[in-house]
Amino acid sequence: MQEFSYTIKDELGIHARPAGLLVKQASPFKSVISVDTGTKKADAKKIMALMGAGVKKGMTVTVSAEGPDEGEAIEALKKFFEENL
Amino acid sequence: MGLFDAFKKKEMEIGSPLKGKCVSIKEVSDPTFSEEILGKGVAVIPEDGKVCAPADGVITTMFPTGHAVGMTASGGAELLVHVGLDTVALKGDGFKIIAKEGQKVKKGDLLMEVDLEKVKAAGYDVITPVIICNSDEYSDIKGLIDKDVNPGDTVIEIQK
Repeated sequence: MQEFSYTIKDELGIHARPAGLLVKQASPFKSVISVDTGTKKADAKKIMALMGAGVKKGMTVTVSAEGPDEGEAIEALKKFFEENL
Repeated sequence: MGLFDAFKKKEMEIGSPLKGKCVSIKEVSDPTFSEEILGKGVAVIPEDGKVCAPADGVITTMFPTGHAVGMTASGGAELLVHVGLDTVALKGDGFKIIAKEGQKVKKGDLLMEVDLEKVKAAGYDVITPVIICNSDEYSDIKGLIDKDVNPGDTVIEIQK
């Protein structure tokens, strides 16, 4: 398993649009990818789960990937978080 | 109609959350919706600010800003009703939350109230996408568009 932590800088956190874009990023990978806020853990390929995690500005989330392409997945998602959130 | 179509059962009917006009999702100017990044669905141009449950089910996500609500319908469909575009930026101004997360609802139950004039005056488009977030789990999602609707009128038919 590989993971990274990220503190959300975006004013509005993970609302509908970023959730959709994140799923788009995560879905092509075979690995199981999740976003953990410490209180809620969401499947990064499920829009409803991501929106329900209530990720807001200032929160530190742990993004993890486990599977055959976990390295690539983590690299792509890290880039996504840095550019979008 | 093909032979097998006659045997296909309509899995579920999703109702309009609002009174207004149901249009194609392609008419939404935000690509997040029109390119179906969040899933397939329709959009309603609202004429009244009462936002009602589109199906029986449970409220899974009530955004604290009241601009959007997610629910899991009894059949398993994950529905998102997103009132207006970019309205997350209003941070709740003009939105009144009625239903709570975890609450069981019936189709037509009031979920939130929106002051449409206020949202419009703030410069936002009030068009309201109604999305099936787990679209991949269905073989067919059909929008019943280009018609005037009242809350509860069927706007989407989905099939496993």
